[in-house]
Amino acid sequence: MGAGKLVAALTVASTLAMGGIAAAGEDAATPEEVVAKVSAASRFLHDKGASGLAEFNSKDGQWVWKDSYVFVYDCRLDRMVAHPLRPDLVGRSVMQITDNNGKFIFKELCKAGDNKRGGWVEYLWTRPGAGNVSRKITYALGAEMAFSSGLQVAAGVYDDKATAAELLELTQKMTDPTKYPAH
Amino acid sequence: MAEQKLGNPAVVGLAGFGLTTMVLQFHNVGWMGLGPVIWLGLIFGGLAQMIAGLQEMKTGNNFGYCAFTAYGCFWIALAAMLIGNQYNLYVSSKTDVGWFLIAWTLFTAILWIGSMRISSALALTFTLLLVGFILLDLAHFGFPALTVVAGYELMACAAMAWYIMAHLIFADVFGRDVLPVGKPWLRPRSTPAATLKAAQA
Repeated sequence: MGAGKLVAALTVASTLAMGGIAAAGEDAATPEEVVAKVSAASRFLHDKGASGLAEFNSKDGQWVWKDSYVFVYDCRLDRMVAHPLRPDLVGRSVMQITDNNGKFIFKELCKAGDNKRGGWVEYLWTRPGAGNVSRKITYALGAEMAFSSGLQVAAGVYDDKATAAELLELTQKMTDPTKYPAH
Repeated sequence: MAEQKLGNPAVVGLAGFGLTTMVLQFHNVGWMGLGPVIWLGLIFGGLAQMIAGLQEMKTGNNFGYCAFTAYGCFWIALAAMLIGNQYNLYVSSKTDVGWFLIAWTLFTAILWIGSMRISSALALTFTLLLVGFILLDLAHFGFPALTVVAGYELMACAAMAWYIMAHLIFADVFGRDVLPVGKPWLRPRSTPAATLKAAQA
Protein backbone atom coordinates (compact mmCIF):
# COMPACT_ATOMS: atom_id res chain seq x y z
CA MET A 1 0.00 0.00 0.00
CA GLY A 2 1.47 3.33 -1.07
CA ALA A 3 1.61 6.40 1.12
CA GLY A 4 -1.09 8.06 -0.97
CA LYS A 5 -3.48 5.17 -0.44
CA LEU A 6 -2.72 5.13 3.28
CA VAL A 7 -3.56 8.83 3.60
CA ALA A 8 -6.76 8.29 1.63
CA ALA A 9 -7.75 5.36 3.85
CA LEU A 10 -7.05 7.37 7.01
CA THR A 11 -9.06 10.26 5.63
CA VAL A 12 -11.99 7.98 4.93
CA ALA A 13 -11.69 6.39 8.38
CA SER A 14 -11.53 9.72 10.16
CA THR A 15 -14.40 11.07 8.10
CA LEU A 16 -16.46 8.05 9.07
CA ALA A 17 -15.48 8.45 12.71
CA MET A 18 -16.40 12.13 12.68
CA GLY A 19 -19.60 11.30 10.89
CA GLY A 20 -20.34 8.82 13.64
CA ILE A 21 -19.79 11.45 16.31
CA ALA A 22 -21.87 13.96 14.41
CA ALA A 23 -24.67 11.40 14.12
CA ALA A 24 -24.58 10.82 17.86
CA GLY A 25 -24.61 14.60 18.43
CA GLU A 26 -27.64 14.98 16.17
CA ASP A 27 -29.72 12.97 18.63
CA ALA A 28 -29.26 15.53 21.35
CA ALA A 29 -30.96 18.92 21.19
CA THR A 30 -28.67 21.92 21.66
CA PRO A 31 -29.36 24.93 23.91
CA GLU A 32 -29.54 27.13 20.79
CA GLU A 33 -32.26 24.93 19.33
CA VAL A 34 -34.12 25.00 22.62
CA VAL A 35 -34.09 28.80 22.76
CA ALA A 36 -35.19 29.02 19.13
CA LYS A 37 -38.01 26.49 19.56
CA VAL A 38 -39.27 27.99 22.84
CA SER A 39 -39.24 31.54 21.41
CA ALA A 40 -41.09 30.31 18.32
CA ALA A 41 -43.61 28.51 20.55
CA SER A 42 -44.22 31.70 22.52
CA ARG A 43 -44.85 33.69 19.32
CA PHE A 44 -47.01 30.86 17.95
CA LEU A 45 -49.34 30.97 20.96
CA HIS A 46 -49.47 34.77 20.83
CA ASP A 47 -50.69 34.55 17.25
CA LYS A 48 -52.79 31.37 17.30
CA GLY A 49 -54.50 31.71 20.67
CA ALA A 50 -56.03 28.70 22.38
CA SER A 51 -56.45 26.95 19.02
CA GLY A 52 -52.67 26.54 18.91
CA LEU A 53 -52.48 24.54 22.13
CA ALA A 54 -53.51 21.21 20.59
CA GLU A 55 -50.29 21.06 18.54
CA PHE A 56 -48.25 20.93 21.72
CA ASN A 57 -49.97 17.68 22.66
CA SER A 58 -48.84 15.95 19.48
CA LYS A 59 -45.70 13.83 19.77
CA ASP A 60 -45.28 13.88 16.00
CA GLY A 61 -45.64 17.63 15.62
CA GLN A 62 -43.16 20.46 15.13
CA TRP A 63 -42.65 20.93 18.87
CA VAL A 64 -40.91 17.59 19.38
CA TRP A 65 -37.42 17.18 17.95
CA LYS A 66 -34.37 15.03 18.68
CA ASP A 67 -34.51 14.29 22.42
CA SER A 68 -36.41 17.46 23.34
CA TYR A 69 -39.92 18.87 23.21
CA VAL A 70 -41.83 22.02 24.15
CA PHE A 71 -44.39 21.81 26.95
CA VAL A 72 -46.92 24.45 28.03
CA TYR A 73 -48.06 25.19 31.57
CA ASP A 74 -50.01 27.88 33.40
CA CYS A 75 -48.23 29.33 36.42
CA ARG A 76 -51.25 31.25 37.62
CA LEU A 77 -53.83 28.49 37.31
CA ASP A 78 -51.24 25.86 38.41
CA ARG A 79 -51.88 23.52 35.50
CA MET A 80 -50.07 21.57 32.79
CA VAL A 81 -51.72 22.91 29.65
CA ALA A 82 -50.02 20.75 27.00
CA HIS A 83 -47.28 18.11 26.99
CA PRO A 84 -46.45 16.01 23.92
CA LEU A 85 -45.00 13.02 25.79
CA ARG A 86 -46.87 13.00 29.09
CA PRO A 87 -50.62 13.26 28.35
CA ASP A 88 -51.20 12.00 31.90
CA LEU A 89 -49.93 15.35 33.22
CA VAL A 90 -52.14 17.56 31.01
CA GLY A 91 -54.81 19.38 33.03
CA ARG A 92 -53.12 18.40 36.28
CA SER A 93 -51.70 20.66 38.94
CA VAL A 94 -47.92 21.11 38.52
CA MET A 95 -46.65 23.21 41.40
CA GLN A 96 -46.28 20.25 43.74
CA ILE A 97 -44.13 18.25 41.26
CA THR A 98 -40.63 17.68 42.63
CA ASP A 99 -37.58 15.95 41.16
CA ASN A 100 -35.58 13.26 42.99
CA ASN A 101 -33.72 15.98 44.90
CA GLY A 102 -36.95 17.51 46.19
CA LYS A 103 -36.73 20.57 43.91
CA PHE A 104 -40.13 22.08 43.06
CA ILE A 105 -39.57 22.08 39.31
CA PHE A 106 -42.49 24.27 38.22
CA LYS A 107 -42.05 26.82 40.97
CA GLU A 108 -38.51 27.32 39.67
CA LEU A 109 -39.60 27.29 36.01
CA CYS A 110 -42.30 29.89 36.68
CA LYS A 111 -39.82 32.13 38.44
CA ALA A 112 -37.30 31.82 35.58
CA GLY A 113 -39.94 32.23 32.86
CA ASP A 114 -41.19 35.40 34.52
CA ASN A 115 -38.09 37.24 33.32
CA LYS A 116 -38.64 39.15 30.11
CA ARG A 117 -36.16 36.99 28.18
CA GLY A 118 -36.91 33.80 30.08
CA GLY A 119 -34.53 31.75 32.18
CA TRP A 120 -32.95 28.33 32.74
CA VAL A 121 -33.63 25.81 35.48
CA GLU A 122 -31.79 22.54 36.13
CA TYR A 123 -33.46 19.48 37.60
CA LEU A 124 -33.73 15.72 37.18
CA TRP A 125 -36.18 14.34 34.62
CA THR A 126 -36.54 11.25 32.44
CA ARG A 127 -34.93 11.64 29.05
CA PRO A 128 -37.25 10.44 26.26
CA GLY A 129 -36.31 6.86 25.41
CA ALA A 130 -34.16 6.41 28.52
CA GLY A 131 -35.31 4.53 31.57
CA ASN A 132 -33.55 6.50 34.28
CA VAL A 133 -33.54 10.16 35.20
CA SER A 134 -30.99 12.55 33.72
CA ARG A 135 -29.89 16.03 34.57
CA LYS A 136 -32.12 18.29 32.48
CA ILE A 137 -31.62 21.98 32.04
CA THR A 138 -34.70 23.74 30.76
CA TYR A 139 -35.40 27.12 29.23
CA ALA A 140 -38.73 28.67 30.29
CA LEU A 141 -40.34 31.71 28.66
CA GLY A 142 -43.67 33.52 29.07
CA ALA A 143 -46.25 33.07 26.31
CA GLU A 144 -48.65 35.95 25.87
CA MET A 145 -51.70 34.09 24.63
CA ALA A 146 -55.00 35.94 24.24
CA PHE A 147 -57.42 35.58 27.17
CA SER A 148 -54.77 34.06 29.35
CA SER A 149 -52.05 35.28 31.66
CA GLY A 150 -49.41 33.23 33.38
CA LEU A 151 -48.87 30.85 30.48
CA GLN A 152 -45.29 29.70 29.87
CA VAL A 153 -43.56 27.46 27.34
CA ALA A 154 -40.39 25.50 28.05
CA ALA A 155 -38.02 22.91 26.60
CA GLY A 156 -34.76 21.50 27.83
CA VAL A 157 -31.47 19.79 27.05
CA TYR A 158 -30.07 16.77 28.83
CA ASP A 159 -26.62 17.86 29.83
CA ASP A 160 -24.33 17.03 32.72
CA LYS A 161 -22.17 20.12 32.55
CA ALA A 162 -23.95 23.25 31.30
CA THR A 163 -24.95 25.71 34.01
CA ALA A 164 -27.98 27.97 34.10
CA ALA A 165 -25.73 31.06 34.24
CA GLU A 166 -23.78 30.01 31.12
CA LEU A 167 -26.93 29.29 29.18
CA LEU A 168 -28.52 32.55 30.26
CA GLU A 169 -25.59 34.39 28.71
CA LEU A 170 -26.12 32.45 25.47
CA THR A 171 -29.84 33.22 25.57
CA GLN A 172 -29.27 36.90 26.08
CA LYS A 173 -26.97 36.94 23.06
CA MET A 174 -29.56 35.07 20.99
CA THR A 175 -32.55 37.13 22.03
CA ASP A 176 -30.89 40.54 21.95
CA PRO A 177 -30.29 41.66 18.35
CA THR A 178 -27.93 44.42 19.52
CA LYS A 179 -25.53 41.74 20.77
CA TYR A 180 -25.31 40.02 17.38
CA PRO A 181 -22.16 40.82 15.42
CA ALA A 182 -23.05 43.27 12.68
CA HIS A 183 -21.60 40.97 9.95
CA MET B 1 -108.45 52.63 31.95
CA ALA B 2 -105.51 53.02 34.31
CA GLU B 3 -102.13 53.14 32.60
CA GLN B 4 -100.18 49.91 32.98
CA LYS B 5 -97.02 50.27 35.03
CA LEU B 6 -93.89 49.65 32.99
CA GLY B 7 -90.67 48.09 34.29
CA ASN B 8 -87.34 49.83 33.92
CA PRO B 9 -85.10 47.96 31.44
CA ALA B 10 -82.04 49.25 33.31
CA VAL B 11 -82.58 46.73 36.11
CA VAL B 12 -81.94 43.86 33.69
CA GLY B 13 -79.16 45.69 31.87
CA LEU B 14 -77.34 46.45 35.11
CA ALA B 15 -77.88 42.91 36.37
CA GLY B 16 -76.39 41.35 33.23
CA PHE B 17 -73.55 43.87 33.03
CA GLY B 18 -72.71 43.43 36.72
CA LEU B 19 -72.92 39.68 36.92
CA THR B 20 -70.97 38.91 33.76
CA THR B 21 -68.33 41.50 34.61
CA MET B 22 -68.04 39.95 38.07
CA VAL B 23 -67.61 36.41 36.71
CA LEU B 24 -64.97 37.53 34.18
CA GLN B 25 -63.00 39.08 37.02
CA PHE B 26 -63.25 35.85 39.03
CA HIS B 27 -61.48 34.37 36.03
CA ASN B 28 -59.01 37.25 35.66
CA VAL B 29 -57.80 36.93 39.24
CA GLY B 30 -57.40 33.19 38.75
CA TRP B 31 -60.29 31.75 40.78
CA MET B 32 -62.09 30.03 37.91
CA GLY B 33 -61.87 28.97 34.28
CA LEU B 34 -63.45 30.54 31.21
CA GLY B 35 -66.45 28.24 30.61
CA PRO B 36 -69.09 30.17 32.60
CA VAL B 37 -67.71 33.49 31.29
CA ILE B 38 -68.43 32.44 27.71
CA TRP B 39 -71.98 31.23 28.34
CA LEU B 40 -72.94 34.10 30.62
CA GLY B 41 -71.27 36.48 28.20
CA LEU B 42 -73.49 35.21 25.41
CA ILE B 43 -76.76 35.02 27.33
CA PHE B 44 -76.85 37.41 30.27
CA GLY B 45 -74.16 40.03 29.69
CA GLY B 46 -74.82 39.71 25.96
CA LEU B 47 -78.36 38.87 24.87
CA ALA B 48 -80.27 40.04 27.97
CA GLN B 49 -78.31 43.28 28.34
CA MET B 50 -78.64 44.01 24.64
CA ILE B 51 -82.41 43.49 24.72
CA ALA B 52 -82.63 45.72 27.81
CA GLY B 53 -80.66 48.30 25.88
CA LEU B 54 -83.03 48.11 22.92
CA GLN B 55 -85.99 48.50 25.30
CA GLU B 56 -84.42 51.72 26.62
CA MET B 57 -85.24 53.34 23.29
CA LYS B 58 -88.94 53.59 24.16
CA THR B 59 -88.18 55.18 27.52
CA GLY B 60 -86.40 58.02 25.72
CA ASN B 61 -83.16 57.33 27.60
CA ASN B 62 -80.38 57.67 25.04
CA PHE B 63 -77.64 56.99 27.58
CA GLY B 64 -79.14 53.65 28.60
CA TYR B 65 -80.06 52.84 25.00
CA CYS B 66 -76.47 53.26 23.85
CA ALA B 67 -74.67 51.87 26.93
CA PHE B 68 -76.67 48.68 27.48
CA THR B 69 -76.93 47.81 23.79
CA ALA B 70 -73.22 48.45 23.25
CA TYR B 71 -71.96 46.56 26.30
CA GLY B 72 -74.37 43.74 25.47
CA CYS B 73 -72.69 43.56 22.07
CA PHE B 74 -69.29 43.76 23.78
CA TRP B 75 -70.06 40.57 25.68
CA ILE B 76 -71.36 38.73 22.63
CA ALA B 77 -68.28 39.78 20.66
CA LEU B 78 -65.95 38.77 23.49
CA ALA B 79 -67.57 35.34 23.86
CA ALA B 80 -67.43 34.89 20.08
CA MET B 81 -63.73 35.82 20.09
CA LEU B 82 -63.05 33.23 22.80
CA ILE B 83 -64.90 30.58 20.82
CA GLY B 84 -63.16 31.62 17.59
CA ASN B 85 -59.77 31.32 19.26
CA GLN B 86 -60.60 27.84 20.48
CA TYR B 87 -61.64 26.64 17.02
CA ASN B 88 -59.12 28.52 14.90
CA LEU B 89 -61.81 30.76 13.44
CA TYR B 90 -60.70 34.37 12.81
CA VAL B 91 -58.19 34.00 15.63
CA SER B 92 -57.43 37.09 17.74
CA SER B 93 -53.85 37.39 18.97
CA LYS B 94 -53.06 38.95 22.33
CA THR B 95 -52.26 42.19 20.48
CA ASP B 96 -55.57 42.05 18.58
CA VAL B 97 -57.45 41.70 21.87
CA GLY B 98 -55.43 44.64 23.19
CA TRP B 99 -56.59 46.88 20.33
CA PHE B 100 -60.17 45.63 20.75
CA LEU B 101 -59.96 46.75 24.38
CA ILE B 102 -58.47 50.13 23.44
CA ALA B 103 -61.45 50.83 21.15
CA TRP B 104 -63.80 49.99 24.03
CA THR B 105 -61.75 52.21 26.33
CA LEU B 106 -62.26 55.19 24.01
CA PHE B 107 -65.97 54.47 23.71
CA THR B 108 -66.28 54.14 27.49
CA ALA B 109 -64.54 57.50 27.95
CA ILE B 110 -67.39 59.18 26.04
CA LEU B 111 -70.08 57.53 28.15
CA TRP B 112 -68.05 58.30 31.29
CA ILE B 113 -68.45 62.02 30.59
CA GLY B 114 -72.19 61.55 30.07
CA SER B 115 -72.50 59.51 33.26
CA MET B 116 -71.24 62.50 35.27
CA ARG B 117 -74.44 64.37 34.41
CA ILE B 118 -76.65 61.53 35.69
CA SER B 119 -75.71 60.49 39.24
CA SER B 120 -72.71 59.99 41.54
CA ALA B 121 -73.22 56.22 41.58
CA LEU B 122 -73.29 56.00 37.78
CA ALA B 123 -70.30 58.32 37.46
CA LEU B 124 -68.40 56.13 39.91
CA THR B 125 -69.40 52.96 38.00
CA PHE B 126 -68.10 54.44 34.75
CA THR B 127 -64.94 55.78 36.39
CA LEU B 128 -64.21 52.27 37.65
CA LEU B 129 -65.05 50.80 34.23
CA LEU B 130 -62.80 53.26 32.41
CA VAL B 131 -59.89 52.65 34.81
CA GLY B 132 -60.48 48.89 34.47
CA PHE B 133 -60.30 49.11 30.67
CA ILE B 134 -57.10 51.18 30.86
CA LEU B 135 -55.55 48.59 33.20
CA LEU B 136 -56.53 45.80 30.77
CA ASP B 137 -55.06 47.80 27.84
CA LEU B 138 -51.77 48.06 29.72
CA ALA B 139 -51.98 44.36 30.61
CA HIS B 140 -52.10 43.58 26.88
CA PHE B 141 -49.22 45.88 25.97
CA GLY B 142 -46.34 44.99 28.22
CA PHE B 143 -47.69 44.83 31.77
CA PRO B 144 -49.41 41.42 32.06
CA ALA B 145 -49.41 41.55 35.87
CA LEU B 146 -52.04 44.32 35.70
CA THR B 147 -54.70 41.77 34.67
CA VAL B 148 -55.11 40.83 38.32
CA VAL B 149 -55.24 44.48 39.44
CA ALA B 150 -57.88 45.13 36.77
CA GLY B 151 -59.71 42.05 38.03
CA TYR B 152 -60.17 43.38 41.55
CA GLU B 153 -60.82 46.91 40.31
CA LEU B 154 -63.56 45.73 37.92
CA MET B 155 -65.18 43.66 40.69
CA ALA B 156 -65.80 47.03 42.38
CA CYS B 157 -67.26 48.30 39.09
CA ALA B 158 -69.61 45.30 38.85
CA ALA B 159 -70.66 45.80 42.48
CA MET B 160 -71.44 49.47 41.72
CA ALA B 161 -73.63 48.42 38.77
CA TRP B 162 -75.51 46.09 41.12
CA TYR B 163 -75.83 48.94 43.63
CA ILE B 164 -77.66 51.05 41.04
CA MET B 165 -79.77 48.02 40.10
CA ALA B 166 -80.63 47.55 43.80
CA HIS B 167 -81.42 51.27 44.08
CA LEU B 168 -84.00 50.95 41.30
CA ILE B 169 -85.51 47.68 42.53
CA PHE B 170 -85.61 48.64 46.23
CA ALA B 171 -87.11 52.07 45.47
CA ASP B 172 -89.86 50.20 43.63
CA VAL B 173 -90.55 47.44 46.17
CA PHE B 174 -90.10 49.52 49.35
CA GLY B 175 -91.77 52.60 47.95
CA ARG B 176 -88.93 54.88 49.04
CA ASP B 177 -85.31 55.50 48.09
CA VAL B 178 -83.39 52.99 50.24
CA LEU B 179 -80.06 53.20 48.38
CA PRO B 180 -79.45 56.75 47.16
CA VAL B 181 -77.37 57.22 44.01
CA GLY B 182 -76.25 60.76 44.79
CA LYS B 183 -76.28 63.96 42.78
CA PRO B 184 -74.59 64.22 39.38
CA TRP B 185 -70.88 65.15 39.48
CA LEU B 186 -71.51 67.74 36.76
CA ARG B 187 -74.37 70.09 37.60
CA PRO B 188 -76.32 72.03 34.97
CA ARG B 189 -74.84 75.48 34.66
CA SER B 190 -77.33 78.32 35.16
CA THR B 191 -76.85 80.48 32.09
CA PRO B 192 -78.52 83.91 31.77
CA ALA B 193 -80.82 82.40 29.10
CA ALA B 194 -81.84 79.57 31.43
CA THR B 195 -82.45 82.00 34.29
CA LEU B 196 -84.61 84.15 32.03
CA LYS B 197 -86.55 81.11 30.84
CA ALA B 198 -87.08 80.00 34.46
CA ALA B 199 -88.28 83.48 35.41
CA GLN B 200 -90.75 83.52 32.50
CA ALA B 201 -92.11 80.07 33.37
